Amino acid sequence: MPQRTPSQTVGPFFHEALRWKEPGKVAFASGGGERIVITGRMTDGSGQPVGDAMIETWQRLPAGDAPAADSGSGNPYGFGRLETGKDGSFRIETRMPEGAAPFLDVTIFARGLLKGLRTRVYLADEAKVRAEPMLKDLASSSRLATLLAQRAVKGEYRWDIRLQGDGETVFFAA
Amino acid sequence: MNDMTRPDAIDPPYAHPGYRSTSLRAPKEELVRLAGAFDIAGPLVPQGFVKSGDNDLTIHGKSAPLGEKMVVAGRLLDEDGRPIRRSLVEIWQANASGRYDHPGDQHDAPLDPNFTGIGRTFTDDEGNYRFVTIKPGAYPWQNHKFAWRPQHIHFSLLGNAPVQRLITQMYFPGDPLLPIDPIFNSVPDEQARQRMVSTLDLETGIEGIALGYRFDIVLAGAKSTPLGT
Repeated sequence: MPQRTPSQTVGPFFHEALRWKEPGKVAFASGGGERIVITGRMTDGSGQPVGDAMIETWQRLPAGDAPAADSGSGNPYGFGRLETGKDGSFRIETRMPEGAAPFLDVTIFARGLLKGLRTRVYLADEAKVRAEPMLKDLASSSRLATLLAQRAVKGEYRWDIRLQGDGETVFFAA
Repeated sequence: MNDMTRPDAIDPPYAHPGYRSTSLRAPKEELVRLAGAFDIAGPLVPQGFVKSGDNDLTIHGKSAPLGEKMVVAGRLLDEDGRPIRRSLVEIWQANASGRYDHPGDQHDAPLDPNFTGIGRTFTDDEGNYRFVTIKPGAYPWQNHKFAWRPQHIHFSLLGNAPVQRLITQMYFPGDPLLPIDPIFNSVPDEQARQRMVSTLDLETGIEGIALGYRFDIVLAGAKSTPLGT
Protein backbone atom coordinates (compact mmCIF):
# COMPACT_ATOMS: atom_id res chain seq x y z
CA MET A 1 0.00 0.00 0.00
CA PRO A 2 1.29 3.50 -0.71
CA GLN A 3 2.40 5.57 2.25
CA ARG A 4 1.26 9.06 3.02
CA THR A 5 3.09 12.11 1.68
CA PRO A 6 4.36 14.27 4.57
CA SER A 7 3.12 17.75 5.33
CA GLN A 8 5.26 20.85 4.78
CA THR A 9 4.67 24.47 5.73
CA VAL A 10 2.48 26.64 3.50
CA GLY A 11 5.26 29.25 3.83
CA PRO A 12 4.89 33.02 3.49
CA PHE A 13 4.12 33.29 -0.25
CA PHE A 14 0.82 31.44 -0.75
CA HIS A 15 -1.68 34.29 -0.64
CA GLU A 16 -2.16 35.06 -4.35
CA ALA A 17 -2.29 31.36 -5.19
CA LEU A 18 -4.78 30.25 -2.56
CA ARG A 19 -6.99 33.34 -2.38
CA TRP A 20 -10.56 32.64 -3.44
CA LYS A 21 -13.26 35.09 -4.40
CA GLU A 22 -14.97 36.67 -1.37
CA PRO A 23 -12.57 35.20 1.23
CA GLY A 24 -14.28 34.13 4.43
CA LYS A 25 -17.78 33.99 2.98
CA VAL A 26 -18.86 30.38 3.18
CA ALA A 27 -21.04 29.36 0.23
CA PHE A 28 -24.26 27.41 0.69
CA ALA A 29 -26.98 26.40 -1.72
CA SER A 30 -29.92 27.92 0.14
CA GLY A 31 -30.64 30.48 2.80
CA GLY A 32 -31.14 27.88 5.54
CA GLY A 33 -29.74 28.40 9.03
CA GLU A 34 -29.11 31.63 10.90
CA ARG A 35 -26.55 33.89 9.23
CA ILE A 36 -23.58 34.30 11.58
CA VAL A 37 -20.34 36.25 11.63
CA ILE A 38 -17.31 35.20 13.67
CA THR A 39 -14.53 37.72 14.13
CA GLY A 40 -11.32 37.39 16.08
CA ARG A 41 -7.59 37.80 16.18
CA MET A 42 -4.75 35.32 15.95
CA THR A 43 -1.65 35.82 18.09
CA ASP A 44 1.63 33.94 18.61
CA GLY A 45 3.59 32.92 21.68
CA SER A 46 4.76 36.47 22.32
CA GLY A 47 1.27 37.93 21.93
CA GLN A 48 2.13 39.42 18.53
CA PRO A 49 -0.43 39.23 15.72
CA VAL A 50 -0.10 36.41 13.21
CA GLY A 51 -0.63 38.46 10.08
CA ASP A 52 0.20 35.94 7.37
CA ALA A 53 -1.96 32.90 8.17
CA MET A 54 -4.68 31.10 6.26
CA ILE A 55 -7.76 29.75 8.02
CA GLU A 56 -10.07 27.11 6.57
CA THR A 57 -13.47 26.11 7.95
CA TRP A 58 -15.65 23.07 7.44
CA GLN A 59 -18.95 22.35 9.13
CA ARG A 60 -22.21 20.49 9.25
CA LEU A 61 -24.82 21.89 6.91
CA PRO A 62 -27.18 24.60 8.02
CA ALA A 63 -30.75 23.44 8.63
CA GLY A 64 -32.51 22.71 5.36
CA ASP A 65 -29.46 22.96 3.12
CA ALA A 66 -28.27 20.21 0.81
CA PRO A 67 -24.85 19.92 -0.80
CA ALA A 68 -24.71 21.27 -4.30
CA ALA A 69 -21.92 21.13 -6.81
CA ASP A 70 -22.46 24.78 -7.55
CA SER A 71 -23.52 27.10 -4.76
CA GLY A 72 -23.71 30.06 -7.14
CA SER A 73 -20.77 31.93 -5.64
CA GLY A 74 -18.23 29.93 -7.64
CA ASN A 75 -16.55 28.80 -4.42
CA PRO A 76 -16.45 25.27 -2.97
CA TYR A 77 -19.65 24.40 -1.15
CA GLY A 78 -19.67 24.79 2.63
CA PHE A 79 -15.93 25.35 2.86
CA GLY A 80 -14.46 28.63 4.06
CA ARG A 81 -10.99 29.97 3.31
CA LEU A 82 -9.63 33.32 4.50
CA GLU A 83 -6.44 35.11 5.41
CA THR A 84 -5.59 36.92 8.61
CA GLY A 85 -4.99 40.65 8.24
CA LYS A 86 -1.68 42.27 9.18
CA ASP A 87 -3.10 42.81 12.67
CA GLY A 88 -3.98 39.12 12.99
CA SER A 89 -7.68 39.80 12.54
CA PHE A 90 -10.05 37.48 10.73
CA ARG A 91 -13.72 37.35 9.80
CA ILE A 92 -15.82 34.31 8.89
CA GLU A 93 -19.34 34.71 7.46
CA THR A 94 -21.36 31.53 7.41
CA ARG A 95 -24.64 29.94 8.46
CA MET A 96 -25.31 28.20 11.74
CA PRO A 97 -24.50 24.49 11.43
CA GLU A 98 -27.06 21.98 12.64
CA GLY A 99 -26.56 20.20 15.96
CA ALA A 100 -27.12 20.66 19.70
CA ALA A 101 -23.65 22.16 20.09
CA PRO A 102 -22.90 23.62 16.65
CA PHE A 103 -19.29 24.17 15.68
CA LEU A 104 -16.95 24.89 12.81
CA ASP A 105 -13.92 22.71 12.21
CA VAL A 106 -11.02 25.12 11.76
CA THR A 107 -7.59 24.46 10.25
CA ILE A 108 -4.77 27.01 10.41
CA PHE A 109 -1.88 27.13 7.96
CA ALA A 110 1.02 29.58 8.23
CA ARG A 111 4.72 30.13 7.92
CA GLY A 112 6.21 28.44 10.97
CA LEU A 113 3.54 25.72 11.00
CA LEU A 114 4.97 22.58 9.43
CA LYS A 115 1.51 21.08 9.48
CA GLY A 116 -1.97 22.60 9.66
CA LEU A 117 -3.27 23.12 13.19
CA ARG A 118 -6.76 21.76 13.75
CA THR A 119 -9.16 23.32 16.21
CA ARG A 120 -12.87 24.11 16.55
CA VAL A 121 -15.04 27.05 17.37
CA TYR A 122 -18.25 26.19 19.22
CA LEU A 123 -21.31 28.40 18.91
CA ALA A 124 -23.16 27.11 21.96
CA ASP A 125 -23.36 27.51 25.73
CA GLU A 126 -20.48 26.07 27.74
CA ALA A 127 -22.67 23.43 29.41
CA LYS A 128 -23.69 22.00 26.04
CA VAL A 129 -20.12 21.96 24.80
CA ARG A 130 -18.88 20.22 27.96
CA ALA A 131 -21.46 17.51 27.32
CA GLU A 132 -20.17 16.89 23.78
CA PRO A 133 -19.14 13.21 23.54
CA MET A 134 -16.33 14.03 21.09
CA LEU A 135 -14.75 16.41 23.64
CA LYS A 136 -14.75 14.00 26.56
CA ASP A 137 -10.98 14.44 27.10
CA LEU A 138 -11.71 18.12 27.82
CA ALA A 139 -14.88 17.68 29.89
CA SER A 140 -13.30 18.94 33.12
CA SER A 141 -10.57 21.10 31.57
CA SER A 142 -10.42 24.88 31.90
CA ARG A 143 -8.87 24.91 28.40
CA LEU A 144 -12.25 24.04 26.90
CA ALA A 145 -13.06 27.74 27.13
CA THR A 146 -10.62 28.42 24.27
CA LEU A 147 -13.03 26.68 21.90
CA LEU A 148 -16.06 28.80 22.84
CA ALA A 149 -17.10 31.79 20.79
CA GLN A 150 -18.55 34.69 22.79
CA ARG A 151 -21.80 35.98 21.39
CA ALA A 152 -21.73 39.77 21.14
CA VAL A 153 -25.14 40.46 19.60
CA LYS A 154 -27.48 38.13 17.78
CA GLY A 155 -25.60 36.41 14.98
CA GLU A 156 -22.24 37.96 15.86
CA TYR A 157 -19.54 36.07 17.69
CA ARG A 158 -16.03 36.77 18.92
CA TRP A 159 -13.35 34.07 18.99
CA ASP A 160 -9.60 34.59 19.33
CA ILE A 161 -6.88 32.09 18.46
CA ARG A 162 -3.70 31.87 20.51
CA LEU A 163 -1.13 29.61 18.88
CA GLN A 164 1.15 29.30 21.91
CA GLY A 165 1.54 30.30 25.55
CA ASP A 166 -0.95 31.72 28.07
CA GLY A 167 -4.46 30.86 27.03
CA GLU A 168 -3.19 28.64 24.21
CA THR A 169 -6.06 27.43 22.06
CA VAL A 170 -6.84 23.72 22.19
CA PHE A 171 -5.53 22.00 19.08
CA PHE A 172 -6.48 18.50 18.05
CA ALA A 173 -4.37 15.56 16.99
CA ALA A 174 -5.26 15.15 13.35
CA MET B 1 5.72 18.46 22.94
CA ASN B 2 3.19 16.70 20.82
CA ASP B 3 2.83 13.14 19.69
CA MET B 4 4.28 13.81 16.26
CA THR B 5 7.89 13.89 17.45
CA ARG B 6 8.10 10.09 17.14
CA PRO B 7 10.99 9.19 14.82
CA ASP B 8 8.69 6.98 12.73
CA ALA B 9 6.10 9.73 12.29
CA ILE B 10 5.28 10.78 8.73
CA ASP B 11 4.58 14.44 9.39
CA PRO B 12 7.02 16.91 10.94
CA PRO B 13 6.63 17.95 14.57
CA TYR B 14 5.23 21.45 15.08
CA ALA B 15 8.27 22.52 17.08
CA HIS B 16 11.40 22.16 14.98
CA PRO B 17 14.27 24.33 16.28
CA GLY B 18 16.10 24.31 12.94
CA TYR B 19 13.15 26.19 11.41
CA ARG B 20 13.15 29.41 13.37
CA SER B 21 9.59 30.49 12.62
CA THR B 22 8.24 27.51 14.58
CA SER B 23 9.55 28.92 17.88
CA LEU B 24 6.61 31.27 18.61
CA ARG B 25 3.97 29.44 16.56
CA ALA B 26 4.23 25.76 17.54
CA PRO B 27 1.78 24.93 20.33
CA LYS B 28 3.35 23.96 23.67
CA GLU B 29 0.36 22.12 25.09
CA GLU B 30 -0.39 18.50 24.25
CA LEU B 31 -2.65 18.00 21.28
CA VAL B 32 -6.09 16.77 22.37
CA ARG B 33 -7.66 13.64 20.91
CA LEU B 34 -11.19 13.95 19.62
CA ALA B 35 -13.27 10.93 20.59
CA GLY B 36 -14.60 10.07 17.15
CA ALA B 37 -14.00 11.63 13.78
CA PHE B 38 -15.70 14.56 12.12
CA ASP B 39 -16.14 12.67 8.94
CA ILE B 40 -18.28 14.68 6.58
CA ALA B 41 -17.22 14.20 2.97
CA GLY B 42 -16.36 17.16 0.84
CA PRO B 43 -16.01 19.89 -0.05
CA LEU B 44 -17.67 19.97 -3.45
CA VAL B 45 -15.79 22.28 -5.77
CA PRO B 46 -17.72 23.75 -8.72
CA GLN B 47 -16.48 22.64 -12.15
CA GLY B 48 -16.02 26.27 -13.16
CA PHE B 49 -13.54 26.76 -10.35
CA VAL B 50 -10.79 25.57 -12.69
CA LYS B 51 -10.54 27.26 -16.08
CA SER B 52 -9.04 25.83 -19.21
CA GLY B 53 -5.31 26.63 -19.17
CA ASP B 54 -5.08 26.95 -15.38
CA ASN B 55 -2.76 23.93 -15.34
CA ASP B 56 -0.31 25.53 -17.80
CA LEU B 57 1.65 28.25 -15.98
CA THR B 58 3.61 29.16 -19.12
CA ILE B 59 0.83 30.59 -21.33
CA HIS B 60 -0.48 33.59 -19.43
CA GLY B 61 2.03 36.24 -20.43
CA LYS B 62 2.67 38.18 -23.63
CA SER B 63 5.49 35.74 -24.36
CA ALA B 64 6.99 32.66 -22.81
CA PRO B 65 8.44 32.90 -19.29
CA LEU B 66 12.19 32.55 -18.80
CA GLY B 67 13.62 29.32 -17.48
CA GLU B 68 13.64 25.61 -18.01
CA LYS B 69 10.22 24.43 -19.13
CA MET B 70 8.96 21.32 -17.34
CA VAL B 71 5.95 19.11 -16.84
CA VAL B 72 5.04 17.74 -13.44
CA ALA B 73 2.46 14.98 -13.44
CA GLY B 74 1.39 12.28 -11.05
CA ARG B 75 -1.45 10.54 -9.31
CA LEU B 76 -3.37 11.53 -6.22
CA LEU B 77 -4.09 8.42 -4.16
CA ASP B 78 -5.27 7.49 -0.69
CA GLU B 79 -3.40 5.13 1.63
CA ASP B 80 -5.36 2.18 0.27
CA GLY B 81 -4.07 2.96 -3.21
CA ARG B 82 -7.43 4.23 -4.45
CA PRO B 83 -7.39 7.21 -6.82
CA ILE B 84 -8.75 10.48 -5.47
CA ARG B 85 -10.95 11.59 -8.31
CA ARG B 86 -11.95 15.05 -9.49
CA SER B 87 -10.20 16.68 -6.56
CA LEU B 88 -8.70 20.16 -6.50
CA VAL B 89 -4.90 20.56 -6.79
CA GLU B 90 -3.47 24.07 -6.29
CA ILE B 91 0.22 24.90 -6.81
CA TRP B 92 2.46 27.92 -6.39
CA GLN B 93 6.18 28.48 -6.87
CA ALA B 94 9.03 30.89 -7.43
CA ASN B 95 10.04 31.82 -10.97
CA ALA B 96 13.25 30.61 -12.62
CA SER B 97 15.23 33.29 -10.75
CA GLY B 98 13.94 32.18 -7.36
CA ARG B 99 11.48 35.05 -6.90
CA TYR B 100 7.80 34.76 -5.98
CA ASP B 101 5.26 37.10 -7.52
CA HIS B 102 4.16 38.05 -3.99
CA PRO B 103 4.41 41.44 -2.25
CA GLY B 104 6.16 39.82 0.72
CA ASP B 105 9.07 38.45 -1.29
CA GLN B 106 12.02 40.83 -0.83
CA HIS B 107 14.62 38.67 -2.59
CA ASP B 108 16.65 40.82 -4.98
CA ALA B 109 16.00 38.65 -8.03
CA PRO B 110 13.91 39.75 -11.02
CA LEU B 111 10.20 39.16 -11.38
CA ASP B 112 9.18 37.62 -14.70
CA PRO B 113 6.28 39.58 -16.23
CA ASN B 114 5.22 36.39 -18.01
CA PHE B 115 5.07 34.16 -14.95
CA THR B 116 2.92 34.32 -11.81
CA GLY B 117 3.81 30.83 -10.60
CA ILE B 118 0.20 29.94 -9.78
CA GLY B 119 -1.78 26.97 -11.10
CA ARG B 120 -4.80 24.81 -10.36
CA THR B 121 -6.39 21.70 -11.78
CA PHE B 122 -8.71 18.81 -10.96
CA THR B 123 -7.55 15.22 -10.89
CA ASP B 124 -9.22 13.04 -13.51
CA ASP B 125 -11.18 9.83 -12.93
CA GLU B 126 -7.95 7.90 -12.31
CA GLY B 127 -6.54 10.50 -9.92
CA ASN B 128 -4.10 11.90 -12.48
CA TYR B 129 -3.04 15.55 -12.57
CA ARG B 130 -0.61 17.40 -14.83
CA PHE B 131 0.95 20.88 -14.85
CA VAL B 132 3.19 22.59 -17.39
CA THR B 133 5.48 25.09 -15.72
CA ILE B 134 9.04 26.41 -15.33
CA LYS B 135 11.57 24.85 -12.99
CA PRO B 136 11.62 27.14 -9.94
CA GLY B 137 14.91 28.66 -8.80
CA ALA B 138 16.46 28.22 -5.38
CA TYR B 139 16.36 31.34 -3.17
CA PRO B 140 17.92 32.63 0.04
CA TRP B 141 15.86 33.07 3.20
CA GLN B 142 16.44 34.60 6.60
CA ASN B 143 16.34 31.44 8.71
CA HIS B 144 20.09 31.30 9.35
CA LYS B 145 23.33 32.50 7.77
CA PHE B 146 23.70 31.45 4.11
CA ALA B 147 20.29 29.76 4.23
CA TRP B 148 18.91 28.78 0.80
CA ARG B 149 15.71 26.85 0.10
CA PRO B 150 16.06 23.96 -2.34
CA GLN B 151 14.05 24.26 -5.54
CA HIS B 152 10.44 23.34 -4.78
CA ILE B 153 6.82 23.63 -5.86
CA HIS B 154 4.12 24.07 -3.21
CA PHE B 155 1.12 21.73 -3.50
CA SER B 156 -2.26 22.15 -1.79
CA LEU B 157 -4.65 19.20 -1.90
CA LEU B 158 -8.24 19.35 -0.68
CA GLY B 159 -8.86 15.62 -1.02
CA ASN B 160 -12.41 14.41 -0.61
CA ALA B 161 -12.76 14.71 3.17
CA PRO B 162 -11.25 16.97 5.86
CA VAL B 163 -8.93 14.23 7.10
CA GLN B 164 -7.26 14.21 3.66
CA ARG B 165 -6.39 17.92 3.60
CA LEU B 166 -2.67 18.32 2.86
CA ILE B 167 -0.26 21.12 2.05
CA THR B 168 3.21 19.96 1.07
CA GLN B 169 6.20 20.81 -1.10
CA MET B 170 7.61 18.90 -4.08
CA TYR B 171 11.39 18.80 -4.39
CA PHE B 172 13.74 17.80 -7.22
CA PRO B 173 16.00 14.75 -7.34
CA GLY B 174 19.68 15.31 -6.60
CA ASP B 175 19.29 18.84 -5.24
CA PRO B 176 22.43 19.46 -3.12
CA LEU B 177 20.44 21.79 -0.83
CA LEU B 178 18.11 19.02 0.34
CA PRO B 179 20.41 17.49 2.99
CA ILE B 180 20.83 20.88 4.68
CA ASP B 181 17.29 22.30 4.38
CA PRO B 182 15.57 22.54 7.78
CA ILE B 183 12.06 22.40 6.31
CA PHE B 184 12.68 19.28 4.20
CA ASN B 185 14.50 17.68 7.14
CA SER B 186 11.73 18.49 9.60
CA VAL B 187 10.23 15.19 8.43
CA PRO B 188 12.00 12.73 10.73
CA ASP B 189 11.85 9.60 8.57
CA GLU B 190 14.21 9.31 5.59
CA GLN B 191 11.78 7.28 3.49
CA ALA B 192 8.99 9.74 4.21
CA ARG B 193 11.27 12.62 3.14
CA GLN B 194 12.03 10.87 -0.13
CA ARG B 195 8.29 10.74 -0.88
CA MET B 196 8.46 14.54 -1.30
CA VAL B 197 11.14 14.25 -3.99
CA SER B 198 9.92 13.97 -7.58
CA THR B 199 11.42 11.55 -10.10
CA LEU B 200 12.90 12.59 -13.42
CA ASP B 201 10.81 10.91 -16.12
CA LEU B 202 11.65 12.10 -19.61
CA GLU B 203 8.52 10.65 -21.18
CA THR B 204 6.34 12.68 -18.82
CA GLY B 205 7.86 15.71 -20.53
CA ILE B 206 7.24 17.07 -24.02
CA GLU B 207 9.66 15.88 -26.70
CA GLY B 208 12.08 18.64 -27.58
CA ILE B 209 10.31 21.16 -25.32
CA ALA B 210 9.99 20.28 -21.65
CA LEU B 211 11.59 18.01 -19.05
CA GLY B 212 9.24 15.69 -17.19
CA TYR B 213 8.96 14.94 -13.47
CA ARG B 214 6.64 12.47 -11.75
CA PHE B 215 5.22 13.27 -8.36
CA ASP B 216 2.58 10.99 -6.85
CA ILE B 217 0.83 12.27 -3.74
CA VAL B 218 -0.74 10.02 -1.10
CA LEU B 219 -3.37 11.41 1.26
CA ALA B 220 -4.80 9.84 4.41
CA GLY B 221 -7.55 7.28 3.89
CA ALA B 222 -11.09 8.58 4.33
CA LYS B 223 -14.11 6.57 5.28
CA SER B 224 -16.42 9.05 3.62
CA THR B 225 -17.49 8.59 0.06
CA PRO B 226 -17.22 11.83 -1.84
CA LEU B 227 -20.40 13.81 -2.03
CA GLY B 228 -22.08 13.68 -5.38
CA THR B 229 -20.36 10.54 -6.68
